[in-house]
Amino acid sequence: MAVARRIAPAPELAGLFPRIAPQLPGGGALAEVRERAWRRFLEQGLPSVKVEAWKYSRIPQQVNRPMGLARPETPPAAVVREALAGGPHARRLVFANGIAVPSLAHLGGLPQGVRVLPLEEAIARFPERVAEAFARIEDDRGFTDLNTALCRSGAWIELDPGVELTWPLQLLFVAMGGEAAAMTHPRVVVRLGEGAKLHLIESHVSGRDGAVFTNAVLQAEIGEGARLVLERAVMLDADQTLLDEAVCELAAGARLLANGATLGGGLVRGELEVHFRGEGGEALLNGLYVTRGREHVDTAVRVLHHAGGCHSDQFFKGVLDEQAHAVFAGRITVAPGAQRSDAYQVNRNLLLSDEAEVDTRPELEIEADDVRCTHGATVGCLDPNALFYMRARGLAPEVAEAMLTYAFAAEVVERMVDADLARKVRRAILRRVPGGARLETEGLLEEVPA
Amino acid sequence: MNGKDIPMAMLEIEKLHVSVEGKPIIRGLDLSVDAGEVHAIMGPNGSGKSTLAYVLAGREGYEVTAGTIRFLGQDLLAMEPEERVAAGLFLAMQYPVEIPGVSNMYFLRQAVNAVRKARGEPEIKPGEFMKKLREAAKLVGIPEELLRRDLNTGFSGGEKKRNEILQMAMLEPKLAILDETDSGLDIDALRMVAEAVNRMRSPERAFLVITHYARLLNFLVPDRVHVMIAGRIVKSGGRELADELEAHGYEPFTAEAA
Ligand SMILES: Nc1ncnc2c1ncn2[C@@H]1O[C@H](COP(=O)(O)OP(=O)(O)OP(=O)(O)O)[C@@H](O)[C@H]1O
Ligand SMILES: [Mg+2]
Repeated sequence: MAVARRIAPAPELAGLFPRIAPQLPGGGALAEVRERAWRRFLEQGLPSVKVEAWKYSRIPQQVNRPMGLARPETPPAAVVREALAGGPHARRLVFANGIAVPSLAHLGGLPQGVRVLPLEEAIARFPERVAEAFARIEDDRGFTDLNTALCRSGAWIELDPGVELTWPLQLLFVAMGGEAAAMTHPRVVVRLGEGAKLHLIESHVSGRDGAVFTNAVLQAEIGEGARLVLERAVMLDADQTLLDEAVCELAAGARLLANGATLGGGLVRGELEVHFRGEGGEALLNGLYVTRGREHVDTAVRVLHHAGGCHSDQFFKGVLDEQAHAVFAGRITVAPGAQRSDAYQVNRNLLLSDEAEVDTRPELEIEADDVRCTHGATVGCLDPNALFYMRARGLAPEVAEAMLTYAFAAEVVERMVDADLARKVRRAILRRVPGGARLETEGLLEEVPA
Repeated sequence: MNGKDIPMAMLEIEKLHVSVEGKPIIRGLDLSVDAGEVHAIMGPNGSGKSTLAYVLAGREGYEVTAGTIRFLGQDLLAMEPEERVAAGLFLAMQYPVEIPGVSNMYFLRQAVNAVRKARGEPEIKPGEFMKKLREAAKLVGIPEELLRRDLNTGFSGGEKKRNEILQMAMLEPKLAILDETDSGLDIDALRMVAEAVNRMRSPERAFLVITHYARLLNFLVPDRVHVMIAGRIVKSGGRELADELEAHGYEPFTAEAA
């Protein structure tokens, strides 16, 4: 019997919405959007391995089981302090299991024309606008519908035309495991008016061991000539699952720089979808995953050149140790008529163990003729010539290996904008790479210019 | 002249045979270098000069099928590459490797400390390291900017060679093997590198210089010159042998090799 393309939601999941809908924030139009999303979710179910984009992912099977909904909590102060990024002036919202913690928010002194508020507050103040934003992304991912239906917290970030937020804004998500598995569906809405500028940092850390499934959705509308820097770092525990989707729509001349690093988490799937809606847009997408144990890190990038004259560049690197499994699927779509499109893609993987596994595949759908497009994927080991060279200068083989592995990964970190976040990522790399702890104590990080 | 005070040769190679991928490259090579000496090896392309250098440094993929190598009385072939460095051996490579992501300066400090550690010495103090590095960099004409760049990455051919000599100056080996360090150097750089090597010459230190050009040997006057053909040393002599080679080529020796 053929495997179905969809997995029917488990009964506990299928019965969830009617039970909790009355407690979800927002009525009226938003309730209708939620209702519609829920019905679609029930019809579509969860994607099975028969769906190309989910072929290697274990996530749908893993999360289709009874789970409680996350409850408000306060994350440990030390965990929050450790995870702060964005420099001394950064503003922030902190979430515990996807629910905003008002006492830890720091949003004072935002300039005129910048609105940053927890999503529940946005729903209370302007539910129609939230409903309208939610309805913008109705894709065939069951997980987006699940988020739309069940989301109860998140962030609303809006910049008026011409406004620049000069300090980074950090969204800090702390996963708090408990006795029973919990799931949460935070939603972040970013709207940048014409020429606006924002640097957003999204951090996912663990505040307590234990199973948490975070089904996060971020949607960004980047107006004409506006610029969004979106940096995210994922450092979760082995029993925690993150499904993180970002959908970015770029108007003419808009620019997006997305830098991501996954350095921990049992199952992590990062999806990044970029739509060029107007000419002259630019999207630079950089990503790193350093995995070990039995971690599964899945990266799905989709860049859609609907309009011509846009430039996209995907640069993703991964280091895999032990029995880790990584998937990279990068799709480039150039619509008919989207002439003078530039689309590049690179995925390089370094295998440190025979048992680690990588599935990498580009998918290109080019329907215009005046297009420059290149892609390349590699899966390899450390360069023996480089190893010998370093040993021939006195370095022990394990030190040479650690240094080369670190250097391989750090190439992505060099593209990061926020020095705080970059430093955390560098430290996390060293702590994950065999022999790296020794390099850290020997002052490798002090060599890095801030 | 060293023979009396130091009874052992610094480097003693006897009846060495080396194969690469099953193919014999070095075929019965004997060579002895004493402390305080500079020896030059000249020979046509493919005669096995770099192979010899790599075997001395301990690179994988070279199968020693017969013979022995003793370095300061120790069995060199039993040592790991990094142990050889700690014991005082250094190879300036013909083709230095680019290592993106590792800064030149950081690498040098790691190398210096690794060698010190292996010798049971304390780590070099940051100030002392910087002082020494600046002096050595000046000597070989490496600008500060190149020290901050990633190791050899994007360096010009000549810059890579200078950087090898910089590493040598920092690691202060007892035996330095220079594999065509002069190829790719402009005339001023050649003089600088030769000057750096000359400054390091001492009764305790020896050099094995592989080159195609007698010009280097005008600056860096060798005690002995060896002609290597098809994996063997076919003739040894004083520095005038280099000029003889320059004038007549290897033709007269190929008959002897056969
Ligand atoms: N990895 C290898 N696989 C096969 N053959 C090899 C390998 N390395 C070296 N050789 C061969 O061994 C021989 C000697 O090479 P080697 O590099 O030692 O020469 P060389 O004397 O240094 O030459 P040059 O003056 O051009 O630098 C050559 O014929 C070369 O092709
Ligand atoms: Mg050679």
